[in-house]
Amino acid sequence: MKRTSKIIFATALFFQLPLWGTAQGILGGHVTGNVQFDGQVSRRDTVIGSNDVPEKLLSNARADILYTNGNFSAGLRYEAYLNPMLGFNSQYSGQGIANYFVSYKTQTFAVTAGHFYEQFGNGMTLRAYEDRYLGLDNAIRGIDIVYRPWNGVTIKGLVGQQRYYWDTRGLVRGFDAEVSLNDVVKSLTDAKTRLTLGGSFVSKYEGDETVLSDVSGYKLNLPNNVGAASVRMDLSHGGFGLQAEYARKGQDPSIMNNYIYKNGEALWLSASYSQKGLSANLQAKRVDNMGFKSVRSVSGEMLYINYTPSITKQHTYAFLSMYPYATQSTGEMGLQADFMYKFKKETVLGGKYGTDIHINGSLITGLDTTVIGGKGTDGYTTSFFGTGDTYYGDISLEVAKKISSKVKITATYGYMVFNPIVEGHEGDLHHNHILVGDLTWKINRKNVLRFEAEWMGSDSHYDVAIDDKRCGDWIMGLVEYNFTSAWFVSISDQYAYNDGIGNYYNISIGYTKNATRLQVGYGKQREGIICIGGVCRQVPASNGLTFSLTTSF
Amino acid sequence: MKRLFLLFVSVFILANILGSCDKIEQDDYLVFSGAAGEWFDGSGVSDHSQRAIIEKYTGVRCVNCPNADVAIATATSQYGDKLIALAIHDSSSFTRPIGDTPRLSTEDGNTWSNYFGVRAAGEYPAALISRTLNGSVWDLFTPTSGINGRVDNIINTATQVAVSVDATQSNDAVNITVNLEFLQTISDQMTVTLLIMEDGLKVTQRQADGNDDENYIHNHVLRDVITDVWGADIDCTGQSGEKRVAQFVYSDYKNEWNLDKCHIVAMISKKESREIINVAECSIE
Amino acid sequence: MKKIILTLALTMLTGIVMAQNAKIPENVTIKTLDGKTIETSVIKNDGKPIIISFWATWCKPCNRELNAIKEVYNEWQEETGVKLVAISIDDTRSASKVKPHVDGNGWEYEVYLDQNQDFKRAMNVVNVPHTFLINGNGEIVWQHTSYVDGSEEELFELVKKVANGEEIK
Repeated sequence: MKRTSKIIFATALFFQLPLWGTAQGILGGHVTGNVQFDGQVSRRDTVIGSNDVPEKLLSNARADILYTNGNFSAGLRYEAYLNPMLGFNSQYSGQGIANYFVSYKTQTFAVTAGHFYEQFGNGMTLRAYEDRYLGLDNAIRGIDIVYRPWNGVTIKGLVGQQRYYWDTRGLVRGFDAEVSLNDVVKSLTDAKTRLTLGGSFVSKYEGDETVLSDVSGYKLNLPNNVGAASVRMDLSHGGFGLQAEYARKGQDPSIMNNYIYKNGEALWLSASYSQKGLSANLQAKRVDNMGFKSVRSVSGEMLYINYTPSITKQHTYAFLSMYPYATQSTGEMGLQADFMYKFKKETVLGGKYGTDIHINGSLITGLDTTVIGGKGTDGYTTSFFGTGDTYYGDISLEVAKKISSKVKITATYGYMVFNPIVEGHEGDLHHNHILVGDLTWKINRKNVLRFEAEWMGSDSHYDVAIDDKRCGDWIMGLVEYNFTSAWFVSISDQYAYNDGIGNYYNISIGYTKNATRLQVGYGKQREGIICIGGVCRQVPASNGLTFSLTTSF
Repeated sequence: MKRLFLLFVSVFILANILGSCDKIEQDDYLVFSGAAGEWFDGSGVSDHSQRAIIEKYTGVRCVNCPNADVAIATATSQYGDKLIALAIHDSSSFTRPIGDTPRLSTEDGNTWSNYFGVRAAGEYPAALISRTLNGSVWDLFTPTSGINGRVDNIINTATQVAVSVDATQSNDAVNITVNLEFLQTISDQMTVTLLIMEDGLKVTQRQADGNDDENYIHNHVLRDVITDVWGADIDCTGQSGEKRVAQFVYSDYKNEWNLDKCHIVAMISKKESREIINVAECSIE
Repeated sequence: MKKIILTLALTMLTGIVMAQNAKIPENVTIKTLDGKTIETSVIKNDGKPIIISFWATWCKPCNRELNAIKEVYNEWQEETGVKLVAISIDDTRSASKVKPHVDGNGWEYEVYLDQNQDFKRAMNVVNVPHTFLINGNGEIVWQHTSYVDGSEEELFELVKKVANGEEIK
């Protein structure tokens, strides 16, 4: 029996188990789940730098199965990486039950044992989450308790170890409390001003370990317990909103901060105003040495306990997102402004169907630091309002307009400054101008065509020594045809016409029925960096066939 | 409101239970990881002072010794940390305890007394400053006078090796760190001699008038030589600019000693001649 | 042999898919736009159909879908009594932009935040947009992932059937 059919058999068998239970009337309840299968057949391409893959087929598969019966629920996740797709850490190789839990929830009380995901506030002290496309899973295996003693009060406590590929590591303990004042204080129940306050404390434990200092004969005196605490608020009054969180972390020498003993600190602020057809949002943050992992000596994307939110806009067009920005948890300051306005129908700028404009800008800089020393010292000092090097800046203007009942267009202009230091290498700033045109033509009820054209002009040049294949001036075209919501075909090409190298063409076909989606693509995929939160993952170039199947039931 | 208050109290208590967050003081970021007595490249010595040590050979039945103590106390207050005092009770008849008091003699002190010719001369009090030679013989003198000239001679010469010593007590041991910085090139083999001495010992002492003072306070009393009596070799090239560090662990101290009143002394000597080049002292943290 | 096992396995898989008529879970924690923690049991519509749409501010097809439905939402409500509940899976990076985004677009849906993605996991949502149709008994009768311009009309046909108590399939 071949390996793949073995897997399918095992998966099916394991899915069947609860059903047998149902059939025998022992368990009752419902079984739901989802299955995802991604595969890749790769070919060598010297221009884009994709390498030969010795295995013929790379595949990631997973199946979640969830059983619920009243207040009780339980779940299992099977994962198989045979072998892991390009860009996924090779430590994922293998297959097995990666995740399991049982949970009992009532209106006031919930307890989960096994793997769980949890977030305190904005995640600045604790966020256990997963991102299956990043190959990231920070699930905690342990016990999670949520208690709501009174309406408007939520208390959470947890203890456990974090997932590390097929293993678990570290020891994390956490506690969080949140109070919605309008629910607790009777006289405020119907007040227009709503206020929620919260606080959390998270501590990790690690045993002793020998980390030599730069001074010969000395090792570092490492703390066994590292704590992080935060306070937060969420205030709203009609269309006004103000959210803030401030977090601190104790001495936490780790490979991320080059084993310095400085305390960590992070402040995040968000203010917004909105009414029908208009919204404005302003965010600011300051992060200083706030990387918090359950194992001090592990680098990379795994084992993060906390999450330092990025405030730059999450762009979706290819060239706008070519240089994604990830929070530098070692230290940064940032500002972001976002403005949305709808010109009403039947006005000069609105036309017959109205016009939407969306403006967004952000600027991220390093901290103004004064270095004290390296490993085994306090590292550096900062001035709170001082700024250092520019890391990233962008501004984008998007105009969306429905021209007729059949045609919608979106035009976007973006300007971006990117400092390669955030990806770990020195170099000149890149300045890019980007234009995107996106047109959707609904031919009739069943046939929809979409065109996308993008241009990027950059002052960067491709340099063999640095080998950043994003450099140079690019153009891109995409045509997508949809037949009802079931079928789609898309063809795209990205081409470096000046100062760069590469020609990335791609053709994809997809079929969707209900919650099942199958997509097959052939073409070249650029090497890139996918970033979410403070985490980035390098995805190598690939050339060949990819397919993806997802289904939920 | 009462409920809310209760809630915050319980949150506070829980946070404290969970809040076992270690705080490490800046001085303790680094801990020694080598074997005891093993030498490594160090980070240098900030204080480049040239210091002198006066070792006084004494005894509880020596009637002239209290006068020497006065003279030495005057000198140490005059020179500050440039002059370190050490009192050695050898095994001469002067060191026999008076009445039911503890004997302050040490075997190591007696070894030194014999080597420097104190026992042979039989004159107490006797002193030696930084183990200097006068011609080919040890420059022993009676420390009721003549201290200043000898000390000046030493501390006014340029420092060859800067030295610092730190001692911390943890569990059942004292960790002693010796840092050296060579300001001049020295080709001789060098040794470091570590010793522990105690202040404030109330032991009966015979006075010049022949009376026994039961409340006499003995300071700088040699308790033990931590290294070998003639020191431990320093692993170095002796080149000017070289910085070396070593850590020693001492656990043989006795319970009746008051470590809060003890000091550690590090004497840097030439192995061949046994002359002291520089010296440093510290209390135990 | 291989074929037999494969067929058997796939039959078993299909069997389980058919066997389901799950309800929406009641005790999953979500948040209102003004920051209050509540449970999914608040998602109710007095025996009338509910559309649950998982979306995110950064997801273009999601926004196209919700904007398209906005144009016809009043008619849908008058005709069938349907209610649309939009569940944002935005994480901290964009969660604070959800309320401005909803107001700015003039959406009149019930919107909740699922920052920890507990509800997303409980509903087996893999990608957004993912839309569920719930009948008057709180049972999931239909679900669909992805959006293409115009497919809201297909959805409304189903909503009408559910509102009339007809079976879907």
